[in-house]
Amino acid sequence: MSRLTVVLSQAPGKHPAKRALEESLVAALLLEPGLEVSVVPNLYDLGPDHTGRLFLESVKGDLVVLSWLYPRAAFWLLDRDGIQGHPGETRLKPPADEEDADDTPTEDRPPAIGPAGTLPDRHIYCLDLRDFNKAEPYVQEVRRIAAECRDRRQAKSAARPAVVQLGLGLMAPEPTQASAFDAQALLAPAGRRWYPVIDYNRCTNCLECLDFCLFGVYGVDSLERILVENQDQCKKGCPACSRVCPQQAIIFPEYKSAAIAGADTGAVGGLKIDLSKLFGGDVADALAMAVSERDRELVNDGREAVGAAVGLPKRQEGKPAGPKDELDKLVDDLDALGL
Amino acid sequence: MPDPLVFLMGKHPAPLPGELLYCKNHMWCRPGADGVHAFGFTAYAVRLMQDVYFLEWRVDPGLVTAKQEIGYIETQKATSGLYAPLAGRVVRFNPELLEDPSAINADGYGKGWLFELAAETGGLLDVAGYYAHLEVGWEATQRMLKGQLNAIED
Repeated sequence: MSRLTVVLSQAPGKHPAKRALEESLVAALLLEPGLEVSVVPNLYDLGPDHTGRLFLESVKGDLVVLSWLYPRAAFWLLDRDGIQGHPGETRLKPPADEEDADDTPTEDRPPAIGPAGTLPDRHIYCLDLRDFNKAEPYVQEVRRIAAECRDRRQAKSAARPAVVQLGLGLMAPEPTQASAFDAQALLAPAGRRWYPVIDYNRCTNCLECLDFCLFGVYGVDSLERILVENQDQCKKGCPACSRVCPQQAIIFPEYKSAAIAGADTGAVGGLKIDLSKLFGGDVADALAMAVSERDRELVNDGREAVGAAVGLPKRQEGKPAGPKDELDKLVDDLDALGL
Repeated sequence: MPDPLVFLMGKHPAPLPGELLYCKNHMWCRPGADGVHAFGFTAYAVRLMQDVYFLEWRVDPGLVTAKQEIGYIETQKATSGLYAPLAGRVVRFNPELLEDPSAINADGYGKGWLFELAAETGGLLDVAGYYAHLEVGWEATQRMLKGQLNAIED
């Protein structure tokens, strides 16, 4: 029987509640039959040489990724690293938005360019560890996914000409044993990174990000498709290009506002109060924010600020800022209070 | 040196040392002789956040503009961006907090300092000015916190 690879990506930092959930979840998953469970540091921080990343790249079959990131962010982050597959649909929904999951106005979107190349024949399921604070819902969902993957494989092999007796060719590729990788290296601390992730199911290849970013983060591949070419040239903390993107296709997985961090809709990030307004956060329209964020990074780099003179498409003039997410609304409410 | 004051948040006392300057974003400033000043969270801010779990700076030391978002904090009760109180140059962040941020709770006016900033402190408040700022904002702050909690329960 083929086994399903489950990878848990740890939260950065030492948050006791997050660590506790990770540990109880791993403990519960290890007791489940048919799973190959591994733990890596925060997915977003894994550089190309990190053992955790090499392990992920070696997994050929279906994959479940549990992370503290929005599923959309995790999926496209893996895609950029060449860990590609078809998006597996999770039934796991945070308690708040059970029936209204699909209210994104997808018809309004222009056609996106989609992921690069031919996707391998496997599914990648991304689950968000912020949805529940106990292990049980995740374990149940992983069980359901394992059954779904098994059924899909069986249906496929039934459709193929039989070479059954030989027992060759029909087996799902066995997941790579994480034990083939040094356990300590798998969990070696990864330095914090900061870079954009493109959602190619939204990106139309308009190349506005390429024009806007003056730090050489973006490039195009041999097919002239936009690509986050130099991840580590990105300026830590700066999300300016994502504000400029007309399709909201650019994700900064760890940015505090849900819309930029890759939430599908305007989800509120957890059940905690947000004190940003009290601590001096400011709100301006998206384009003005993007321009001032970029200027700040230019000056910090010893270059000249360019304001709105460079890399802004004309057609954005007078364009209202993108739809506000819940956090934006929250901040507006705080404004109204006149703090 | 002005006398220390204590602002009452309901029944919870938030002590405000007299020798410090204060920023409206609830940071204190301990002026340094060389124009490089230490900053940290006031007892008022710490009380709202409670135990700090995670602190991260999202810029490297260098030039910052006033109100620039420079970091992120997650605590028992809250999450927040962290913003530069003044325009200037961040000289360094408190390295010990990156290992363990609990000094923010244990010794907020001492070992819990956040960063050193070379800046012009002319616009900051003295202890009486900050106390007045808290008094004016306290009702609205309570309404805001309550409003957020209601929004979460909806």
